[in-house]
Amino acid sequence: MRYLKLISLFARASVQEETAYRANFAIGLLYSLLNLGTGVLGIFVLFGQVESVQGWSFASTLALLGVYLSVGAVRSLFIGPSLEALAGMDGDVWSGRLDFVLLRPVDTQFLASFRKWRIFSLFDLALGLGTLGVAVSRLGQTLSAARIAGFVIALAAAVAILYAILLAFTALVFWSPGVLFTWVFDGVFQMARYPLGLYPGWLRLLLTWVIPVGIITTVPAGMLSGASSPGALAGMVGLAVVLVGAASLLFRFGTRRYASASS
Amino acid sequence: MTEAQISVQSLSKTYRVPVRAGGLKAALKSLARRTYNDVHAVQEINFTIQQGEMVGLIGPNGAGKTTTLKMLCGLLHPSAGQAHVAGFVPWERRPAYLRQISMVLGNKSQMLWDIPPLDSFRVIGEIYSVPPARLRQTLDELFDLLEMAELLTKPVRDLSLGERMKCELVAGLLHQPAIMFLDEPTLGLDVSMQLRLRRFLAEYNRRSGVTVLLTSHYMADVLALCPRVILIHHGKLLYDGELGSLAQKMAPFKLVRVTLEDGRPLTEDRGGIPAGAEVIEANGNHLTLRVARTAAPEITAKLLQSLPVVDLTVEDPPIEAVIDQVYQEGVQG
Repeated sequence: MRYLKLISLFARASVQEETAYRANFAIGLLYSLLNLGTGVLGIFVLFGQVESVQGWSFASTLALLGVYLSVGAVRSLFIGPSLEALAGMDGDVWSGRLDFVLLRPVDTQFLASFRKWRIFSLFDLALGLGTLGVAVSRLGQTLSAARIAGFVIALAAAVAILYAILLAFTALVFWSPGVLFTWVFDGVFQMARYPLGLYPGWLRLLLTWVIPVGIITTVPAGMLSGASSPGALAGMVGLAVVLVGAASLLFRFGTRRYASASS
Repeated sequence: MTEAQISVQSLSKTYRVPVRAGGLKAALKSLARRTYNDVHAVQEINFTIQQGEMVGLIGPNGAGKTTTLKMLCGLLHPSAGQAHVAGFVPWERRPAYLRQISMVLGNKSQMLWDIPPLDSFRVIGEIYSVPPARLRQTLDELFDLLEMAELLTKPVRDLSLGERMKCELVAGLLHQPAIMFLDEPTLGLDVSMQLRLRRFLAEYNRRSGVTVLLTSHYMADVLALCPRVILIHHGKLLYDGELGSLAQKMAPFKLVRVTLEDGRPLTEDRGGIPAGAEVIEANGNHLTLRVARTAAPEITAKLLQSLPVVDLTVEDPPIEAVIDQVYQEGVQG
């Protein structure tokens, strides 16, 4: 309860900070629409040629894009801004401002993960969920309660996996404080716009097991279209638990290395 | 005597830092194989501090002050030794411990820059679970003491350095900590702002009984606030005691000020000055001599015999001079 209250306070303070820069709103809006536009355009080009690709129809690929946009929106809503504040040349680790995070009587990882919000990303989230809605209507299937529940669980696991990967990449700043490691991830995450089945075998393996971004979008979208099995869902939830646990350990291990910045 | 609020036993911190020679070749070589040096930032220091004390932690740059402070607030794990603060081991960083302490840094800000300070204070208050009514009361008291009502509606980035420092102090005190660690709180401030902050800290300590451990390079901070100082140099504790006795203990010399009879100034060859006395200032018939502490009685007696002395005083050198000497030469005697 206390943590929820803290989250709402962090979010409110972030809104106040964001409204200090009005131009950011316009640029953010343009960026979101471009992101959606290029995504949809890509799918139209692809399915202008063929009916289905590796068992993925237009509608189920659109559902995948919806998942990609929604998960990406959650990432830029708070995970990204909070974790990115740690890294880079002006980051909290480099400058020593992490002192104030470590000295709060609140869990350090919680504070590091939830303290900065980009409320504008709620618009992205609406676009992502809207895309999902359109995709579902195009699928032409009635969704059972179990399928919707499966989808919601898969989406939550997707966010958890994304969070774990970003947290692990961010924890690397304790070994090399000047570097923003999450850009490595951003490049790879772009590939999750399209179904895993579209990629050659070796890349599929890489996107499933090494940096599991493929799973993030493919399994939830498959839950909607019926292409994902309950086994895949269970596997995804298991993976999410393991990854969040491992990333938290790495982060905690990293904070022990933190020596603060000298005065 | 009650149990000490801060107690430090054989506390040490050694950093492992990469070293390399200058130049491109050495830079490339260090990519392949790094060599490290051990830097002993703090070495086996011991001290205790009672509740309500204001203690100055002094020493030259790189002496180990900030490292000591960071170990005591819980940011750094020591390499060896123990410390207990308010009954806790600091670096375990238990929430119950963190609620009792506060760290205010002159060179780092905990405020949110784009919003007015009041909003930052609300967030920090919630982090420390300060009940709203108490938060309001504490803030009102602090705003009053620091005379900062007019700052509260401006974004922090539009405030001056001194105004921001006031905000840092409020942010550090709104949860009413029992112990405050202050690292260079007056860094970069103008003289009048330094004076006001010192007055505030003294008054706050008197009212709340907060224990303060302060580092500062401005001796005026220490002189005004800290009856007791702990001096560290090269990571070792050189002195722990009253500021007034520091000179007595640390300076191996005394200053002898002599006034000679009118019309009989010191001759060119400085005849009559006993061996072991060094003239550091000669102004007409006023002389200042530097003499070894142990030799002071003997030399004074000789001076009275050999020169037409009308007045003579023996005093400790000023505190800045003593500290400068310790910083430059280390401890002597």
